[in-house]
Amino acid sequence: MSRALDRIGTWIGWAFFADLANGLALTFGYMFSKSVTMQYPDKEKWLPYSRYRGHHFLKRDEEGEIKCVACELCARICPCYCIEVIPYEDEKGNRRPAKFEIDMARCLFCGLCEDACPADAIALGQQYEFSSFSSRDLVIGRDDLLGKPGKAMTGGGVVAARLNTEQDVLVETSEPQGYNWWRNIRRT
Amino acid sequence: MELVVALGLIVFKVALLIAILLLLPLPLTWLERKIAGRMQQRMGPMRVGWHGLLQPVADGVKLLTKEDHIPAEADRFLFKLAPILALAPPFVVFVAVPFGESVSVLGTEITLYVSNMNVALLFVFAVIGIEVYGVIFGGWAANSKYAVLGSLRTCAQMISYEIPMGFAVIGVVMLAQSMSLLDIVRAQANVWNIVYQPVGFFVFFVAGLAESQRIPFDLAEAEGDLGAGFHTEYSGIRFAFFMVSEYAIMLLTSVLAVILFFGGWNGVLVPLPPLVWFVLKVAFFVYVFIWFRFTFPRYRYDQLMAIGWKVLLPLSMANIIITGVAFL
Ligand code: SF4
Ligand code: SF4
Repeated sequence: MSRALDRIGTWIGWAFFADLANGLALTFGYMFSKSVTMQYPDKEKWLPYSRYRGHHFLKRDEEGEIKCVACELCARICPCYCIEVIPYEDEKGNRRPAKFEIDMARCLFCGLCEDACPADAIALGQQYEFSSFSSRDLVIGRDDLLGKPGKAMTGGGVVAARLNTEQDVLVETSEPQGYNWWRNIRRT
Repeated sequence: MELVVALGLIVFKVALLIAILLLLPLPLTWLERKIAGRMQQRMGPMRVGWHGLLQPVADGVKLLTKEDHIPAEADRFLFKLAPILALAPPFVVFVAVPFGESVSVLGTEITLYVSNMNVALLFVFAVIGIEVYGVIFGGWAANSKYAVLGSLRTCAQMISYEIPMGFAVIGVVMLAQSMSLLDIVRAQANVWNIVYQPVGFFVFFVAGLAESQRIPFDLAEAEGDLGAGFHTEYSGIRFAFFMVSEYAIMLLTSVLAVILFFGGWNGVLVPLPPLVWFVLKVAFFVYVFIWFRFTFPRYRYDQLMAIGWKVLLPLSMANIIITGVAFL
């Protein structure tokens, strides 16, 4: 019985274009919802999560010395062969990298080097704006890597920013977290 | 002297009309992209000018400066003729379209139409039919399979939808006892035709959607399966011609819907100037066109034909018969 009623209901709905009207109502509703566009890079910028795999950085230990012991495991595991490590022995008799270069143009940001490192010396940080006009500039040396920003502490937010053509996109905000980008996603 | 003034007035009106029709696509494209963006939770153009207001100008400059490419195998004469054939009829049609009764400027009554033909409706349908040639020639001359397929589809679509469209307005003509668009609007001073002719309006609107080749009936230029349909091979200014023509037809369909079924410049409840009422109604229909475009998927080709011949045509016939019986 209810099946027959259903069918009649469907038929009436079909005759009066209820399905089309539903669709129209939906798009009309969406028209007044907030947009999810992130206006990068002129006005807003995304803060990556702490799990984000961005530009590598080399860590220092408590005494401020580079943690890397130049074991070359990262260079070995790297699927792109983009890390080059040349070890030397410093004054204290520790094995350290004399040369540590990553070719960012070839890196695929798999994070295997981070996993392989026995000394917890290398990791992929939060920086993601390092495009360049020359692939030669993308070979990053040891000292540059030491200065790169580390893992993000917060993340998943959008903050106000301004595009500066000389440098990066500058973050300009008092609140470090920004707003949660997911807030405007409609879940029905 | 009288003659000179009258002639000057006509020339001025025509020039104004052409200017408006040529410039309207600019804000319309912006509006369309903005509405599309909002419906998809995007922002639409934002970079050029305030909220992307100058985006259409930038696009126009881009189109004008692009290479005007003609394929090597193309029929050069037809290829050049097609955009003009597509562009001219929608402009010509507006000659017969009234936008209001008249306004008095400096003591002289100026009518808000170029000419009050007594067969205006026939004129509109006859001239707009020519537009199809632009599409067909364009597709044929380009010598590309996508373009030919697109124009073949258009050909069939136009033939099958012009008939119910023509039949749908017969009810209106019967009610007004006139084919003059001015008289049709005057006849709706009290009750709009939509009250008497809901079926007629439905058929007219659906057929109008198909005529102006908008989604859900944009098979002629189905991006998904035909590249860009009949204008696949067009670039630069000639492509812009097709775009302007498309918007002009969309505008024309809205204007006709308002004049034939929604009382033209007759307002309800709120006493606004007639011209404002007219513009508001047309704007509403233009919005509906855009709204439809970003809501519905495209019909399949056989469905399109089935709707045209099996639904719209019988409906419009029945509408005529019922209107006739009611008259008796
Ligand atoms: S992230 Fe992967 S590809 Fe990049 S340097 Fe590390 S191991 Fe090599
Ligand atoms: S970064 Fe880690 S894995 Fe790579 S050479 Fe240094 S200590 Fe070894």
